[in-house]
Amino acid sequence: MSSISLKNVTKTFGAKTVLGNIHVDVPAGEFLVLLGPSGCGKSTLLRMLAGLETVSGGEIHLGQRRVDTLPPSARDMAFVFQSYALYPHMTVRRNITFPLIMRKFRWWFHIPVLGHLAKRRIESSPEVRELVDRTAKILSLTEMMDRHPRTLSGGQRQRVALGRAMVRQPEVFLMDEPLSNLDAKLRSSMRAEIIKLHRDLGGTFVYVTHDQIEAMTMGTRIVLMHAGEAQQIGTPREIYTNPANTFVARFIGTPAMNLVHARIDGGRLAIGELRMPLPAHLGVRGASSGAEVLVGVRPNALAIGTDPAQPGMAGTVALVEHVGAESIVTVRLDTARTAHDRDDGVGDEIMVTQAGYSTLQAGDEVRVSLDLTQAVLFSAESGRRISNDIPLPTEAPHAAPGFSTQH
Amino acid sequence: MKTTTTTLAWRQALLMIVILGMLGVTAFPIYWMLVTSTTSSADLFSTSPHLLPGLAQWHVFRDVFTSTDVGTWLLNSAIVAVGTTVLSLALAVLPAYALSRFKFAGIAIVGLALFVTQMLPEAMLVVPLYAIFGQLSLLNTLTGLILVNTAFTVPVITWILKGAIDGVPIDIEEAASIDGCSRLGTVFIVVIPLIAPTLAATAVIAFFHGWNEYVFAQTLVSAPELHTASVGLAGFVGELSTPLHSVMAIGLMYTLPAVFFYLLVQRYVVAGMTAGSVKG
Repeated sequence: MSSISLKNVTKTFGAKTVLGNIHVDVPAGEFLVLLGPSGCGKSTLLRMLAGLETVSGGEIHLGQRRVDTLPPSARDMAFVFQSYALYPHMTVRRNITFPLIMRKFRWWFHIPVLGHLAKRRIESSPEVRELVDRTAKILSLTEMMDRHPRTLSGGQRQRVALGRAMVRQPEVFLMDEPLSNLDAKLRSSMRAEIIKLHRDLGGTFVYVTHDQIEAMTMGTRIVLMHAGEAQQIGTPREIYTNPANTFVARFIGTPAMNLVHARIDGGRLAIGELRMPLPAHLGVRGASSGAEVLVGVRPNALAIGTDPAQPGMAGTVALVEHVGAESIVTVRLDTARTAHDRDDGVGDEIMVTQAGYSTLQAGDEVRVSLDLTQAVLFSAESGRRISNDIPLPTEAPHAAPGFSTQH
Repeated sequence: MKTTTTTLAWRQALLMIVILGMLGVTAFPIYWMLVTSTTSSADLFSTSPHLLPGLAQWHVFRDVFTSTDVGTWLLNSAIVAVGTTVLSLALAVLPAYALSRFKFAGIAIVGLALFVTQMLPEAMLVVPLYAIFGQLSLLNTLTGLILVNTAFTVPVITWILKGAIDGVPIDIEEAASIDGCSRLGTVFIVVIPLIAPTLAATAVIAFFHGWNEYVFAQTLVSAPELHTASVGLAGFVGELSTPLHSVMAIGLMYTLPAVFFYLLVQRYVVAGMTAGSVKG
């Protein structure tokens, strides 16, 4: 088990920079999740860790060892592919044994009969057999050791791929969206299996996904990436409760966090026609009266009332979705403005979750009140988080700020 | 329901008739060789042709062995064909892999150059090759024939294998490299087993080329003991007479090994080897 350290790692393809200055320290034994939308560079970063892509700049260290100049086989990292990448001409047993055979491989193993005998000898040696059988047992593959990958289901193939990684007992496990090809039910059971695996094996895991549920449930720490840069690095809780910028705020959480335009007006916050006292924790150092901000508030921190006298943002119910335990109500605001538009360009709509089965209907006039104790503020200009500790930035706007990993 | 079943049955029957018809067209020449070889010279030119092999004439097969060197010719053909097959595959695999997996300057020119070699007719190359082989002491050797046949098959086989390697998911190779396989090791341990069906198909191409080749076998080799079956067979065509039943008997013996080789290899020419490896 080793720590991983990425020091200002960059990746360029020609003139295009796909990863810029990634700086992450992964302590030994951590389950780090690289999370982000398609094309954010998370898989590229993982492949650079594995040695499948070259590093354009910066360094990668595994423990005390610099590994970015080493070939993949010399890095002692196992890789689980999104596509499983099993060897189709080998049985499950051979697939799992393969890394162990390669460890003892000599050039003369290529000689037809001689090499075959040597490989079978390694395969049937007691220590290899015991290790492979134990791995198979953990993954419930014992019954299918003599089958070929084409006869297995998706979940079984994924378990074989995990077995092939585990049997090497590597320093680091790298996984590239290993569950994305499975159906929802299987995905949740495999998710639990991988969490258990991490607990039992105790290795350092780096896991790539675009699924925030996987990231939140599996990761001990998350690197949220966008457009080739790390937007925020932190525990799932930190990322959920203290998003570093509006991208993180909108990416994590379903439905997404609402971002409402507001203005700081002395000690108060002006949202549309609504004026609310600014709670102490939202006090913004360095923000002059009149500064434009975005109030980030999760749908469950909003309340809907039908009493016109109730203080809140006035609006009309646009849509009510019943999703079982709760209802998601979309409200089109009358005067308040949001920072996010729907795909079809319709803006100024916020989402509110209500417990149980909502009796509201589309067209109802409502008031939406917000609980500012659960809200966060962002600079309207740069999109960065602002608070007492994080002053309103004075430098030029920066869409993708770099964040240090030290907490 | 009944109508559908009946229609299906008719379709099956029709398909079977078409297949049998095609089989007949393909196999008839071989059968006719058998009939002709076992028909006496007198009957060959009679007005009513024999449609069945004449059992009394079986001795013709024994006779050609005693009266000609057909055994040697067939052996020489086999050496040339097998040599061409082995050498062609051995030489084509790595260039095919390079063309498929590596991106380098001039890759398009290399690919085109392989095609250009196929545009030159064999007959045009006989004279320069004769001169070159003379210098290299390769005239009158089976090695020379293997080399010249290989030169013709390698470009084609390289292109076919390149296509097959393109179809091997790169993930599998990356998995092998992470598991500790060298690049060359990956080619031999992972890629070659996965393109086995295509290798079998290209083996058929190389074998038939070596087995059937006539122009070079006739010109680059003059020693009778090194004649291949194609040259030996052509030697029967005389100015005054051609012993048709002997020619057909040897022709049959010349055809059957090639057919057997194909039957041996064709079971490997099955698709779907990479099924189950990667999703999608």
